[in-house]
Amino acid sequence: MQYQGFDNLIYKRLPEGVSINLQPAGLTVRAYAYLWDFMFRALIIFIFSLVLNFLGDAGQGLMLVVFFIVSWGYYIFFEAKNGQTPGKKRYKLQVVQDNGLPPRIEQIILRNLLRPADAFPFAYALGMLVMFFGSEFKRIGDWAAGTMVIYCEQTDLQMVNQKIEPLAPGFSFSTEEQKLIIGFAERCDSLSVGRQYELANVLAKNINCRDQEAVTMLKRYAQYFMGQEV
Amino acid sequence: MKQNQFVRLNEARWQLFSQFDASDKDWVAVYPEQFRQICSDLALARSRQYSPALIERLNQLVQQGQQHLYQSNGFSLVHILKIFTQDFPRALYENSKYIVASTLAFWGLGLLAFLWVLIAPQHIYWFIDPMQVNQLESMYDPAGSVQTDSRSAGQDVMMFGYYVYNNIGIAFQMFGGGALLGVGALFPLLFNSFYFGAISAHIVNVGFEEPFFSFVIGHGSFELMAIVIAGAAGCKIGFSILNPGTLARKEAIKKSGMSVLPLICGAFVMLLIAAFVEAFWSSSDLPSIVKYIVGSLGWFWVLHRLYRGCRYGN
Repeated sequence: MQYQGFDNLIYKRLPEGVSINLQPAGLTVRAYAYLWDFMFRALIIFIFSLVLNFLGDAGQGLMLVVFFIVSWGYYIFFEAKNGQTPGKKRYKLQVVQDNGLPPRIEQIILRNLLRPADAFPFAYALGMLVMFFGSEFKRIGDWAAGTMVIYCEQTDLQMVNQKIEPLAPGFSFSTEEQKLIIGFAERCDSLSVGRQYELANVLAKNINCRDQEAVTMLKRYAQYFMGQEV
Repeated sequence: MKQNQFVRLNEARWQLFSQFDASDKDWVAVYPEQFRQICSDLALARSRQYSPALIERLNQLVQQGQQHLYQSNGFSLVHILKIFTQDFPRALYENSKYIVASTLAFWGLGLLAFLWVLIAPQHIYWFIDPMQVNQLESMYDPAGSVQTDSRSAGQDVMMFGYYVYNNIGIAFQMFGGGALLGVGALFPLLFNSFYFGAISAHIVNVGFEEPFFSFVIGHGSFELMAIVIAGAAGCKIGFSILNPGTLARKEAIKKSGMSVLPLICGAFVMLLIAAFVEAFWSSSDLPSIVKYIVGSLGWFWVLHRLYRGCRYGN
């Protein structure tokens, strides 16, 4: 474990000698993914029922088989390939092992066969409750299988635009402060203009300017800290 | 080294790494080396306090590399079959106490219910409502049309679907429900055993034992023992939460989950066999004596395999 701020990243040490951070997926986005999967499953069953309807009694039997396979095998089939069902893929979620590696087939089967326990007594109530115990948002099936659901693409931060003219600040910043300013410059484009100004104005007194001017100034400092030659 | 210089030096390599193509042989050969290089880049970026965006990007590259290097083998029925033939007996051996306890509970309670209803026939109505009893009676009535040769091939397939959906569904429910401190596995196990015992006794009471037993003996070996195994597997998961021993609960559930997984896979294959037998063999109009002989052989084989599994693990 390294720095644990108020973001919910988990740090995992790799055998390669470096640690990576994973961002576990919370309740809401997983519920959305579940609903998408639910729709896909309903669609598959609907399509099969259209065809099998013409086969009479045998068709009914095959329909039940299809129903069984889709309700139990859908998740296992898709997650076994790369840890993503169509619903999870849509929200860029992925099932991984506790250590961040792709899950093994045994773990996928186990985590999905334990769905009845999570679904107890209705609508995944127990699973949701269990998810709140722990920073990795695991439901019972995840606990038993040693898996978790993470975002496979974390929020894409924009690198500072190289065209900004770097500027050496007139006074010195500590390393921490430099990192904060670079962080601000990188996140700037994802913030609203008002919020950009609000954050930049914190330093208004030190850099003697406000609003748009301050934002530009901080971006130029950031460029300088990152080593653009002046 | 300043960040921008670091990026300029390595940018091309990172670009190349992110466009991994598994079909390119040369690429695959150097991929692990490239991966370790990226890992070291990430470590450097961290210790040099480079910006979050860069660390984020390298982090993503490492994750991407992991996905390719440690990929799982995917899902195939061959794999399930391998679990059935190799891991299943070993799991039986490891969990033999649970299997024995579950078997005793299932057959013990079933026998109790059987004797009870045999001695006091009217008590069947205490447990099962009259509508259902009538339905069951008509199913095994030798003069009726349900389990006799008047059944069409289409109906056979329909019943096969029903058995797959219902029986395997029950087994999976028991396994999953077992995680609820064992209650979700224990309750259906005992319920089914009592129900089965009471029904058989009632069928004997009304004198339909010939069609009934010749029907159930064929698939009963696979079906009933699979339910027993699924119950045992579910119970073990539940009890490992109740009594984790020296382990933390989260480790205990992980360990027990992995150790019983082959059991549920085994039960799945057994129930699949049972569904085939039940739909296409048990309902056929072969003479009862043939069904009894084949059914007994099936029982012998299943019990023998389970015994060998529990005793020696093979």
